[in-house]
Amino acid sequence: MSSTSHAAPAALRPPQAVGEAGFLSRWRVPLSIAVLCVLPWVLPSQALAVNVLIYGLFAVGYNLLFGYTGLLSFGHAAFFGGGAYITGMAIAHFGLGWFPAMLVGVAGSSVLAAVIGALSIRTRGIYFCMVTLALSQLVYYTALQASNWTGGENGLRGFTVAKADVLGFTVNLLDPMQKYYFLMVFAALALWFVSRVLNSPFGAAIEAVRENETRARACGYDVERTKLLSFILSGALCGVAGTMSAIHLSIVPLDALHYHTSSIVVMMTMLGGAGSFFGPFVGALVFLLIEDVASLWTSHWQLIVGVVFILFVLFLPKGIWGTLIAWRNRP
Amino acid sequence: MDLELFLMQLFSGLALGAILVMVALGLTIIFGMLGIVNFAHGALFMVGAYAGLWVASLTGSFWWALLIAPIAVGAFGMLVERVLIRPLYKRTPDDPLLLTFGLGYVLVEAVRITFGTDGIPFSAPESLQGVVDLGIGYFPLYRLFVLGVVAVILVLLWVALEKTRFGLVVRAGARDPLIMRVLGVDVSRLWLLVFGLGVGLTALGGVLAAPMRNVSPEMGTLVLAEAFVVTVIGGMGSLLGAVVAGLLVGVAVSMTALFAPEMATIVMFGLMALILLVRPQGLFGRPGVGA
Amino acid sequence: MTTQTTALMQVENVGRTFGGFVALAEVSASFERNKVTAVIGPNGAGKSTFFNVLSGVLPPSTGSIRFKGQELAGTKQHRFAHLGIARSYQITNLFPKLSVQENVRVAAQALRTRYNLVMNRSAYPELVEKADAALAHVGLHAKRERVASDLAHGEQRALEIAIALVADPELLLLDEPTAGMGPEETKEMVALLERLATERTILLVEHKMKMILGLSDRILVLHHGRLIADGTPQAVQTDPEVRRVYLGQNDGYA
Repeated sequence: MSSTSHAAPAALRPPQAVGEAGFLSRWRVPLSIAVLCVLPWVLPSQALAVNVLIYGLFAVGYNLLFGYTGLLSFGHAAFFGGGAYITGMAIAHFGLGWFPAMLVGVAGSSVLAAVIGALSIRTRGIYFCMVTLALSQLVYYTALQASNWTGGENGLRGFTVAKADVLGFTVNLLDPMQKYYFLMVFAALALWFVSRVLNSPFGAAIEAVRENETRARACGYDVERTKLLSFILSGALCGVAGTMSAIHLSIVPLDALHYHTSSIVVMMTMLGGAGSFFGPFVGALVFLLIEDVASLWTSHWQLIVGVVFILFVLFLPKGIWGTLIAWRNRP
Repeated sequence: MDLELFLMQLFSGLALGAILVMVALGLTIIFGMLGIVNFAHGALFMVGAYAGLWVASLTGSFWWALLIAPIAVGAFGMLVERVLIRPLYKRTPDDPLLLTFGLGYVLVEAVRITFGTDGIPFSAPESLQGVVDLGIGYFPLYRLFVLGVVAVILVLLWVALEKTRFGLVVRAGARDPLIMRVLGVDVSRLWLLVFGLGVGLTALGGVLAAPMRNVSPEMGTLVLAEAFVVTVIGGMGSLLGAVVAGLLVGVAVSMTALFAPEMATIVMFGLMALILLVRPQGLFGRPGVGA
Repeated sequence: MTTQTTALMQVENVGRTFGGFVALAEVSASFERNKVTAVIGPNGAGKSTFFNVLSGVLPPSTGSIRFKGQELAGTKQHRFAHLGIARSYQITNLFPKLSVQENVRVAAQALRTRYNLVMNRSAYPELVEKADAALAHVGLHAKRERVASDLAHGEQRALEIAIALVADPELLLLDEPTAGMGPEETKEMVALLERLATERTILLVEHKMKMILGLSDRILVLHHGRLIADGTPQAVQTDPEVRRVYLGQNDGYA
């Protein structure tokens, strides 16, 4: 028995994991918040800015699993859509206020992530992505069939949150600017949380698992449990993005759970750069900008996004931001 | 419960499963040899169906479509392997996967542009329409035909894998890629052929499925997920597993439709979850491989 | 055996099969504290399987392994590090994109805190100190800021040892620590192992016979998965069975 045959299959990891260093790393949360603050003023439309906010956070949550833990999931629509649906249902069917509803949404997507994560982590390596995709399809078809609760194909409607009372102030959510900054608070909190996790001992543990599962196990890390916790955190963050989307749109389209939504977040993360803090936001911005610009002259903007994505996989696997910081970090 | 209805549904499930067997076999063969999960597999199934539709409309013959479409799509698969996937073998297994995923995305949109976004009906040739009396009940002739074609393909594949040098190399290579170097096989050409074969099989599945459902650009998404379910249930990398699990899933879906139609699509994912809990390596998988 | 009470680890009738293939059969041995034991044998003798069983990578099919009196068969691999058993790998097995220091620090962290989301990593300065001490021990302290994958081969092997050492293990399993090394690098590694030998129990697999004879207190010889000799270097060298097994093998062995 040769010793090489016992080596675990190479851990899945993003092509080139690169992170910010120095100033960009130390000030990443204030810098992100500063950029988010000016976003509605520099982008062509406020609608685009809100989408960058929501999908950017979605991609950040996804990146915790893909970029930092090295697990490629194709089922994260389940947590984004799950968070959105549960928040919407909590308001529409149970009459909860917007804040408890959001909490329930995030808690629900965390539970969903715990279940899907526990099942998919039982498989190793490349099968992980197949199982996550299949289980998220299970969530999609369940929502499609449970139309009494979810509205089925028409999506969930009837839970408009027009205003929110926060600490004595009333935020008018029908005003796009107020809504943007209202939602930005949640994104900022989530970013602060992610940054905290990445700096924590657990952040070191997931990087160790990404870099070398076999070695991490030999060092004393329970690899499966580490992955599961990362999966749950990732699902919870995507759930936050989902609840924000529900509050923003006042409907939850069934598409929120569709494979297409899982695809989008993979592409955004790759385009920006997996394994970096700002990469997913950059990716979401670029993706949505391509959509915004290209859809002016063709309804088939997805073809352009797809081709750009393929070119990135072939020639720029670190993504836009990842390539920039690799260049900045060069020796 | 009416016995005849039960048998008809069982039979219908087998036909559905036979299509899944084609798709899952293609996926498994590619994975076994090249070590990559082809995420464009569902899209190529859909492209197969459209190619069949197109050839049938040009030649006016379903038979030409059945022959030409899988070969043409298989050839396209070989082009993809050579031009797009080949530069990525040196990288992590994620990269070819992400590339085929992007390709699937592009193919769906390309088909939407070419054939429109709406579903197109595709009817079986007249000689295959109608029902046939098998003594125990009446069965749709076309589904019988699908089962027959898939059975023939399985026999051909079995002969190719068990009785030819090509098959010997494929089987050995799927177990241990090092063996191929020892045998002095031109790996690059073999991978090209295997990718083409795998894609051809899913395209054939697409053509065969077309008369049983509408042809639409989105038809590949569910098929991709179904193929993954079959692969997980059957066992990672096991060809026999793909066949057994494909038929099993087909029958399970069909039978559930009889009792609880709203659960039909959901049941196979539940089946997969159950397998992951009790036997994560799948029915025919070896422990340690993928689980 | 008369020394059973002081043995750090006792292996009894351990076997491991793969399907029908017997990779290891009925191996019994006990390992005393602060001794260096080498495991040798021709390729395919079962050395790596033996190592993988002792480090928890593979559960034994039969038999028992007791470490400080505690049964290890059935224990999950990641627990081994916590119990005081650390290993290095034959093929360099690092965290390639992390810094040299972080490679060792994260290994030390595994025994201190694993799921802590709240604190900052920098709240554990003692882990950095431990890492730096281990790096100093293997002579890599000056290169601690470098990325692991940029190190020379010999340095990567030394880093492997530092990662294992930082856990302060009572039993150190080293799988061919000099694999792929040139004469100069080998000499440095031997010097390092000699330093370690004074303070720890070491079990190592090696092919370089001269090095083994100089370093080991005791040698186990495996052949076709069975233990065919167990004794001092002198005794093993003159063992007729061992000579027969190695006859015709290349010079590297004798």
